[in-house]
Order: sequence, then structure tokens, then C-alpha cells
Amino acid sequence: MKLKESLKLGGRFLRGTDDAAPAAAPALEREIDLQHEDDETLVRRAQKGEPAAFDILVERYKERLYATVYHMTSNHEDANDLVQDTFIKAFKSLRSFRGQSSFYTWVYRIAVNRTINFIKRRKNRNQFSLDDVDSSIQNDPDLVEMMSHVTPRREAGLTELHEKLNEALQQLSDSHRAVVTMHDVQGMTHADIARVMKCSEGTVRSRLFYARQQLQGLLSDYL
Amino acid sequence: MDAMDCKKAQRLFDDLAHERLDAETAAQVQRHLAECTDCRVLEQRGARLQRLLSLKRYERPAPEYFESFLSEFHGRLLAETQRTGWWERALGRMENVLAVGSLRMWRYSFASAVGVAAIVGLVWTGVRQPGDIAAQSGAADPSLVVAETMLPPPHSTPSAIAAPLTGLPRVSTVEYQPPAAGSVVLVPMSTRADSPAPRYVLDRIAVTPASYEVASVHF
Repeated sequence: MKLKESLKLGGRFLRGTDDAAPAAAPALEREIDLQHEDDETLVRRAQKGEPAAFDILVERYKERLYATVYHMTSNHEDANDLVQDTFIKAFKSLRSFRGQSSFYTWVYRIAVNRTINFIKRRKNRNQFSLDDVDSSIQNDPDLVEMMSHVTPRREAGLTELHEKLNEALQQLSDSHRAVVTMHDVQGMTHADIARVMKCSEGTVRSRLFYARQQLQGLLSDYL
Repeated sequence: MDAMDCKKAQRLFDDLAHERLDAETAAQVQRHLAECTDCRVLEQRGARLQRLLSLKRYERPAPEYFESFLSEFHGRLLAETQRTGWWERALGRMENVLAVGSLRMWRYSFASAVGVAAIVGLVWTGVRQPGDIAAQSGAADPSLVVAETMLPPPHSTPSAIAAPLTGLPRVSTVEYQPPAAGSVVLVPMSTRADSPAPRYVLDRIAVTPASYEVASVHF
């Protein structure tokens, strides 16, 4: 229901109309139908001037992009700003998107590049905001196993673990951090990462290898 | 079957963990791990590191965090569009048109580029015209270019001063004459006596001191 309202608002905003005309109902139905379309079709329709199609793409990828950007910046506000900027940039450049890669790869590339540039600019800022850790982590078997020999006080250990993880990630170079985030946190394949970062799969593997070596040194207390 | 060395095996640990190796290569890596203690320790530490990193996926905001995302995006997009100048929007559209790779678009782009080049050429030619006149007038002998500044005579009446200036600097060619005693001669500092380059000499300036006094005004 919320998505319906959001789409209705979004479509109206981008068309520049504000009247709640009765004729909007079929249009709304059409917009709902867009949800079942694939990315390629949605991009084509958005390029032809159907902004509701782009709204669906935003809805589809916002969380995944957000997660990646967040893991690179370790800050929710920065992540939110960067993902918004990414979609604005994507919307404005949509006509130049020729479909040589998937929309997801293209928009991901924009996000990662913007994030890397952002991190370079903000070198000395405080980066952590650990107030949004999902509570279901307590039941994760990996965590339970890991925490059992690290500390008996799981709560304190969890906060400390996340701090250490973020600190360690922030010590990696921008490109190494991006690769680790996409592969080990997001679960992307080497091929997808190579497409996003416009490099070879070998380069991705190499960056991953050296990044992990560095992380093993930084997180040796937990390994 | 060749035995696998440590370096190659270590590069494949990640693929082994994600089951991305073919059966034969996976078996080779497994055999190497069974034989090599160092690699086995490394592989176990790597696997633990991956499990540790995967815990980061729990660092995510609550689902309601994203509810206003789309409306916020629309707000920002609107603000961005309003902030953008018309020239930037035009440039953006031009970029978009140029980015579309169809032949028809390229024809339009090419025609536009030729049109712009023609306009720039015409404007450039127009700007260059006064200079060309000077060059043409001195073409017979460029060393004999003399500038004469015609200033209004002293004791001009107010109406004469208000009249449009007709005596703007003119360029004419005259025979070079040695400077008369008392006249002002300007020679460029860079001109050297032994230089074979032509000398540009400002022969004379007909300058009479101007007076701001009005001798007589008749109404």
C-alpha cells in the first residue's frame, strides 16, 4: 500500500501535476504493473519519459546499494546521502545509458565511484555509527561460535567486534575495501565486481587476496 | 597430475570455499591442503575471516528507514533541477543527444557542429577585419607605417566637442623622412642597430596641448 502511494506521489511529482484526477486510477494500475517488468524494460520506459519506471528501479536497488555504501563508509547518514546522489546522477544520465551493462552494474558503478571519491575527501572524519545492528545477529551460528571463545559477555563483545571490524575495514585502501565489501559482505561474484570496478577478474582476485592478508593481521584476535 | 604449489593453492581458497572450482582443481587444492600444514592454517584463518566479515550484513537500518527514501529522492531531484542553470540543462541535453549512438543522431550532431564552426568562423573573420585593413595598408612597405593621431584643436566650442569624433587614429603610409629636430621619435626597445629586421618608427604625432577653457561662447 505504501509503495502504491509512493509511486503515485512520485509519478505526480515528476510529471509536474498536482490534481487528484479520477483518471489517475488506471495510471496507477499501470505503474503497479511496472513492478513486474525487468530492468531493461524499465530503463527503456524511463528513457522515453516515464518517471514511474525509474521509481521502480530505485525501490528495487536502494537497499542493496545502501548496504554496500554503508559498509564502505561505516556511517548511515553518509550512506543515505550517497545513495540519493547516486540515483539522482543515474536519473540525469539515464539517456546516456546504452545498455552495454546491466542497469544494476551501471548504477552500482556510480555508487562505488562516488563513495570512493567521498572517502578520499573526508579522510579525517569520525566514521562509526553502530546503533543499527540487526538484533537477529545474536542468533547467527557464526557469531555464537566466534563469541564463545572470545568473550563470555556477548553484548559487550558484539559492540567491540563491530567496532574492530569497521576499524579494520577503514584501514584498507579504498579499492581494497570496495572489493572486500562487495565480495565478502555482499556476496557478489568476482565477475560482477570486475564489471562494476572496470577491471579484470584477476585484479579483483589479487585485491581480495591482499586485502584479506591485511585484515587477518588487523583482526588476529578474532581469528 | 601435477602437484599444486602453495602460492597457486592460496589463490584458489576463495573459489574452493564458494564451490566455484571444477572437480579436478578442487581435488588438487584439497590434496595440497591435506599435505601442507601452513596452507591448511591459512585456509582456516581465511574461512574464519570470511565468516567474521559476513557478520557485517547485520549492520543495517530498520526496514522503516527506507520508507521515505523515494519521496526524499523526489525532493532532492526537484531541488537539484531548480538549482541547475539553464545552460547546464542545455548542456546535459546536448550530452544526452550526443551519447545516443544512432546514426541519425550523429548526423544531427555533425550538422550542428558544422553550423557552430561556421558561425564561429564568421564572427572571427569579423573581429579580424580592422587588423587586416591595417596590414593591407602597410603591405607595400611595412617599415613605413606611420600613425597620425588627429586630436580636436584647442579652443573648441562646446558644440564642436559634442560633435561625433571624426578624427580617430588613421593609418597611412608615407615616405620615411629623417626626424626633424625637436620632433618625438619612438623606437621600440627591442630594435637593435645590427638587427636586419625592419624598423617601425613612429615618425610624428601632431599633438597640440588641449585647453579646457572656452574662448567664446555664442548663443
